[in-house]
Amino acid sequence: MRPVRLVLEPRQASGAWRAAISLLSALALAGLLGSLVFALAGVDVGAAWRALAQGAFGSSYSLGEILVKAAPLILTGLAVALCCRLNLWNVGAEGQFVLGALAAGYVGLFLAPAGAQPWPAHFALPLALAAAALGGGAWALAPALLKARLGVSEILSTLLLNYVAVLFMEHLFYGPWRDPAGQGFPGTAELPEAVRLPLVMPWLPGARVHWGLALALALALALWFLLARTRWGFRARVLGQSPRAAAYAGFHSARITVTALCLSGALAGLAGAGELLGVQHRIQDGLASGLGFAGIVVAFLARLNLLAVPLAALFLGALLVGADQLQTGLRLPGAAALALEAALLFGALLGEFLAANRIRLVRAPAGEAGEARHAS
Amino acid sequence: MSGGRSPGANAAPMAPAPPVLSCRGLTKRFGGPEGGVLANDGVDLDLFAGRVHALLGENGAGKSTLMSMLSGAFRPDAGALLLRGEPLVLRSPAAAMRAGIGMVHQRFALVEALTGAENLALAAGGAPSPRAAAELAEAFGLLLDPKRRVSELSMGERQRLEILKLLACDARILILDEPTSVLAPAEISGLYGTLRRLADQGRAVVLVTHKLPEIADVADEVSVLRRGRMLARNMPRSQGLPTGWDLAGLSRLMVGRELPGASSGRQRRPGASARETVLRVRGLCGQGQPPAFADVHFEVARGEVLAVVGVAGNGQEALAAVLGGTKRPARGTATVLGREADQALVAYVPEDRHGTATVPGMTLAENLLLSTTGSRGAYLQGGAGSRAARAAIAALGVVASGPQALARDLSGGNLQKFILARELSKSAPLLVVEQPTQGLDVLAVSEVHAAIRRAAEESAVVLVTGDPAEALALAGRVAVLFRGRVAGVVDPGEAGAFARVGRLMAGLSDPAAEGPAGPVGVPGGKPGAGGRP
Repeated sequence: MRPVRLVLEPRQASGAWRAAISLLSALALAGLLGSLVFALAGVDVGAAWRALAQGAFGSSYSLGEILVKAAPLILTGLAVALCCRLNLWNVGAEGQFVLGALAAGYVGLFLAPAGAQPWPAHFALPLALAAAALGGGAWALAPALLKARLGVSEILSTLLLNYVAVLFMEHLFYGPWRDPAGQGFPGTAELPEAVRLPLVMPWLPGARVHWGLALALALALALWFLLARTRWGFRARVLGQSPRAAAYAGFHSARITVTALCLSGALAGLAGAGELLGVQHRIQDGLASGLGFAGIVVAFLARLNLLAVPLAALFLGALLVGADQLQTGLRLPGAAALALEAALLFGALLGEFLAANRIRLVRAPAGEAGEARHAS
Repeated sequence: MSGGRSPGANAAPMAPAPPVLSCRGLTKRFGGPEGGVLANDGVDLDLFAGRVHALLGENGAGKSTLMSMLSGAFRPDAGALLLRGEPLVLRSPAAAMRAGIGMVHQRFALVEALTGAENLALAAGGAPSPRAAAELAEAFGLLLDPKRRVSELSMGERQRLEILKLLACDARILILDEPTSVLAPAEISGLYGTLRRLADQGRAVVLVTHKLPEIADVADEVSVLRRGRMLARNMPRSQGLPTGWDLAGLSRLMVGRELPGASSGRQRRPGASARETVLRVRGLCGQGQPPAFADVHFEVARGEVLAVVGVAGNGQEALAAVLGGTKRPARGTATVLGREADQALVAYVPEDRHGTATVPGMTLAENLLLSTTGSRGAYLQGGAGSRAARAAIAALGVVASGPQALARDLSGGNLQKFILARELSKSAPLLVVEQPTQGLDVLAVSEVHAAIRRAAEESAVVLVTGDPAEALALAGRVAVLFRGRVAGVVDPGEAGAFARVGRLMAGLSDPAAEGPAGPVGVPGGKPGAGGRP
């Protein structure tokens, strides 16, 4: 029997074709890995996928929940994708998300209550959102400066600051910000109506979709415009693709790096504010539920295309909502959702690889066999 | 440059010995089966032990593809290789090495952090042994200290180390891809001596090049590739001709047409009349410890070309970056028309086309906006970029599908013409061009040279190059950098200018500098060594 070898070679394909290959292999691998997880957990694989689909698309409530999840995912996905376009790795969206929520919460708890503020009540929400953007951006400022001035890896600094942010939040809602009327439960008081993001369909009971979704969609468009059509965006793209060309052109690379990381932090901060002001309404355990990290999955599923980020966020949102059904319906642990998310990320990375290269099976002729070929 | 070739030492056979390696009908196509590029089309070639074979062809002629098939990196779509008459299938470079076929690539494959001996051990197996490495180097007459790290070695030493790697693996067929492009003239004759010896010891040597005159001394036979087809195969030397070769005829075979505006008239030195001084360099020192270059003084006037030459690593790269405005000097000043240089005053063509002068993944329209100031303001002027890119494409006859073509899809010569056109469109008073023709084919070289000459009619030009022939052909003065200092300034019109530049590049003492008529530019960098009498 003649041995068969795998040959890897660069693929010559158009952009659209590549995108299709990338997405299809992402979904295929995610499905495969997901099925493996289900099988290992000892449930019927087909039933699990059906439960997932049922959970995501089975009712108008669950469809609404997908939109609720998509709003923060769009923003954290944009935050990660923006940095990746500059060859920066912001894995600190989770921490910036928390700081954004804390800043918005501060406005809601201490500046907005009726009678406490010297400005009209309808200023409260914009102020809280602005504070959230500032808070998230500020949380990214230290890693950005360290990166731009000293070359410290932003991967480490942003990642580690996530833990600081979550611990700081816990300190606040267990300590100084705890609701005095909360009967000992850890968590702040409910935020006043003035700072909450209004519901899109207030007449539908249970539909929690809030206007943060529209904000996220508008920001996706704005960010696309920034990168594709403005001078700053051009400089940022040059820097991301070729730092030497940026130096040749005389761009201020350090300044662009700091701006981009802070902008990314601001987006993640807005995601946190949306979750707090639109859904949770109080700072408590569970506010930081990994939506920042999920932004990485969204960004790669969208192949760093800013206009595709909302679609990727919807898809991941559906997966997360559906996975809730796995918990209730099939008694799978909550980690099943995380496992599916990870499967999707692996799938996206593999898909990117397959879009750039193709693998061929070659039947080796008799003689020299089994030797790997290194295409240069 | 003398290759030390003696006709008697040449093992050219009386009765033809069989070739050690033959190609028959080698064909390689890239891309789809119908479309795509036919890189090699039914190529035949014979390599003989004891001969130095020169493979000529322009960039893109298919030389690299052919050699990659010989050295196992690519597999032919059709055709066969015969090693001493036996069919040979090569699956990898390692398999080729086992068959005795080794290649020195243009970009060396050395681990810079390791010593020469360690690199040898990586290639040939076994434990690194500086002594064995030194003995091997000695045996083949290749000067090299195997205990030094590769990062400390000159380009010539690295090349010798690459050749040693092949010899340590007992290669019988050695392929060298553009071996002279990294060498100083003095080193080139040393390389030719080495190749001659290796051939005389019964090896087959293949020199891949597009620089015809360089190989005239050393080659025993010549083949010419054009557009994937072998136009002339195993042509022997003809004893009737002075150089042994019909250089003009071979050149026509390579290019396939006459070169436009073939350069003869080099730039005259401008008269001492009212030529405006554009660039004034005073006591310029580069960054680093020791500084990449130090105590550089010169002036360049409008209408003048000053060439700065040196072997790679002697400071001209850093000097070009400072003059081009992408690096700051440690000390000293470089002023353009009395002002500090900026993008509006300096047009700069850096050495690295893919990645510095352009962003490979961006369109030509976007790349045009990289260094030009055509669109100030908050928004990207995509339309203006497209129009300007179209103008640049038309100005120098760039072959590209249009402003939306990606920079990475252009050939080296076309991209270089595009970059040059972009920089020239700025009409800046100073043009700095660095290694403008490296890796370009003959036709593109002549076009780039013509564009530089035209630019010199309006601007001051600083040409930084490692190629003394290019410097002498284009410049009114040639300043030679050695170890970061101006070792001398040569007038291309003086007798023996080429030899003098070669000696200065190699760091040999400069007899003319002591002579009364010697141009200014004293080694050691006396202030004011300007080179303008």
